[in-house]
Amino acid sequence: MKKGIKQAGVATLAVIASVGAAQAAQGASAEELDQRIRILERKLELDKEAAEAKAKDSPTVSISEKGLSVKKGDNEFKFNALVQFDGRTYLDDKATQNDTFTFRRIRPTFQGSVGKLVSYRLTPEFAGAGATIVDAYVDLKFDPAYTLRAGKVKGPVGLERLQGGSAITFIERGLPTELVPNRDLGVQLQGDVLNNTLNYTIGYYNGTSDGRDGNATDTDNRKEVAGRLFAEPFKNAGGVLEKLGVGIAASHGTQIGNNTTNALPGGLRSPSQRNFFVYNEAGVTANGDHTRISPQAYFYNGPFGLLAEYVQSTQEIDRVTGGAVVNSEDIKLTAWQLAGSYVITGEDIGFKGLSKVAQPFTIGGEGWGAFELAARYGELKVDDAAFDGGAALRFANPDAQSKKASSWTAGVNWYLNTNVKLALNYTNTSFDGGKAGGADRDDDKTVFTRLQLNF
Amino acid sequence: MRIIKTAIAAAALALPLFAHAASYELLNVSYDPTRELYKEFNEAFAKQYKAKTGDTVTIKQSHGGSGKQARAVVDGLQADVVTLALAGDVDSIATAAKLLPKDWQKRLPEGSAPYTSTIVFLVRAGNPKGIKDWDDLAKPGVSVITPNPKTSGGAQWNYLAAWEYAKRKYGGDAKGKEFVEKLYKNVPVLDTGARGSTTTFVQRGIGDVFISWENEAFLARKEFGEDKFQIIVPSLSILAQPTVSVVDKVVDKKGTRKVAEAYLQYLYSEEGQDIAGRNFYRPTGAAAKAKYGSQFPKVELFTIDEAFGGWTKAKKDHFSDGGSFDQIYLKN
Repeated sequence: MKKGIKQAGVATLAVIASVGAAQAAQGASAEELDQRIRILERKLELDKEAAEAKAKDSPTVSISEKGLSVKKGDNEFKFNALVQFDGRTYLDDKATQNDTFTFRRIRPTFQGSVGKLVSYRLTPEFAGAGATIVDAYVDLKFDPAYTLRAGKVKGPVGLERLQGGSAITFIERGLPTELVPNRDLGVQLQGDVLNNTLNYTIGYYNGTSDGRDGNATDTDNRKEVAGRLFAEPFKNAGGVLEKLGVGIAASHGTQIGNNTTNALPGGLRSPSQRNFFVYNEAGVTANGDHTRISPQAYFYNGPFGLLAEYVQSTQEIDRVTGGAVVNSEDIKLTAWQLAGSYVITGEDIGFKGLSKVAQPFTIGGEGWGAFELAARYGELKVDDAAFDGGAALRFANPDAQSKKASSWTAGVNWYLNTNVKLALNYTNTSFDGGKAGGADRDDDKTVFTRLQLNF
Repeated sequence: MRIIKTAIAAAALALPLFAHAASYELLNVSYDPTRELYKEFNEAFAKQYKAKTGDTVTIKQSHGGSGKQARAVVDGLQADVVTLALAGDVDSIATAAKLLPKDWQKRLPEGSAPYTSTIVFLVRAGNPKGIKDWDDLAKPGVSVITPNPKTSGGAQWNYLAAWEYAKRKYGGDAKGKEFVEKLYKNVPVLDTGARGSTTTFVQRGIGDVFISWENEAFLARKEFGEDKFQIIVPSLSILAQPTVSVVDKVVDKKGTRKVAEAYLQYLYSEEGQDIAGRNFYRPTGAAAKAKYGSQFPKVELFTIDEAFGGWTKAKKDHFSDGGSFDQIYLKN
């Protein structure tokens, strides 16, 4: 471009010089000719400046550790991906569970913005039996204080659930996540107010059973309202408490089962991904109010991180025998967890994970990446009422389903660089009940490993 | 209850231990010739604000043709404050992007114009073409330097000053139009901003006369030699009122409202006014007016409101697509 302008300039000046010579012969003074040449030179200079300014407005294509981005003005398209390849080993399980390699997540993400108002995100999932859609939504960004999001979105209730799949500290999320909505279809208003110290979300959704995605279409013609207030009061003040966040989230709706689905969780899973509780008696179905409440908090300071949440989920459940309701109860499930982590190589960590590795791992070089140690303890308790009333009335059989799970996990994460993470978790989950005669089900003891690539 | 109260009191007492001085970054989007003014003012404000609040503030500057700068803010440039050449450009940010309220001009004294200026002529030493007043700029053979009114606020002041002069002298808008048409036939280069035109005239040696901001003319003489240029004061000129405003939506998003408002208010302080006077802007504060008044030539000044019915009308009539400037310039 510059070369072209230069060549054009030289050519123009040559023409001017010859024209100038001709005009000089016709009486133009040397002073006038000098001015004309200066004017042409200045015009070329201005043209060059304009061309350079225009080049700045051309689309910018960048490929970096953050993925692919094509941007021009307010329009942007980005491509990112998350791949997690896990190894799962079950210890002392008497071969009831297969040790296996598995892809936990294979998620390309297409996201971007169309002008200032509209942005979008589409994330399919290729891990598992078939391709599914994880996230698919459109944002109308009226203002940072109020953005309208519509589509398939993460429900706002669970704190760890809201953490990105690539940013979670442990290989699997903790027990409270089993009681909050996963993804659901609906519309939500969200935003940051009070100088970005308070984040809010309020939404209207199809409604989901605990720990699960909503169905592609609503199965009971009933809806769910959910909301969350989360404050980071010291966000703008700096200091030790800058990344302290405290919040409360809740949902309320109605879940009604039918002949196709009982609208209840397909199973509550331990962090080892094994079901330890399901409403396994015949004729049990959701039939009424479903309410969740979750106080939650996190605190990050330098390399130290702490996350705590509590969830209570109450669902009205019926047991129907021969077309008649023989038992109806509000069944309360509660779960909590406390998780801590420390990056021993000193990098800062936050709710969105480790943003930068100080010395990325290099073959033959000095860098070893970043190392993080983490530990977690949590419990999930099923309402005693779920097991009351004997075989004819109860919702779950205590000889097969556990009343409580208590789980701890110790883990180490090795961030080779910003894009690659290796993780190792040991998890032990013990249970109350779940075996014949009221005996406790055997502990889950697992070693999970993960190779994660995200960009 | 006592335990709770004790805990709250302890937490309140402990809070100052965690409270740190904040640091802020502001972006001041301004017009072309204010570089030197705001460089000096920013340093003074940051020092004063640090002493007063303990907070650190860093101010980034962006300069260009005023109209072009306003469009950049409308298009998303995250300006905490705008300090533009004319109220009409700030108005366009309020109306096109709704980033600030329409009555923004009422928020600060003097209609949000902390300093004023006017338009003068800068000519080469000895005034070889004998320029004395506006009429001389429309004569054949006189080369006139002025920026593009489509992108430059200063150029709009120039254009309207010339129009009003001819309107008063020869009678009516038709004569005004005829006069600026003749004048623009003498303009060989249209820069996008006033600083670009200074470069064209002063550094590239093009043209016989530069229609210039008064402060820019003083600065050119100071920087490039008082023996090389001289200032000619026309018989009539315009009271140029560069205006300033916080960009509400940006400061609320960034959490910088308090410091941005303090920044603009400081322009009206004794020190702010003194800096304006030192940089050849006409101060509005009494003390600085008394101190610097004698350096500015006496000239009959008219305002945009009395001559053109305000900026909204002036922009529509003259600088919008198809306005008088397009009519005369595209014809040429």
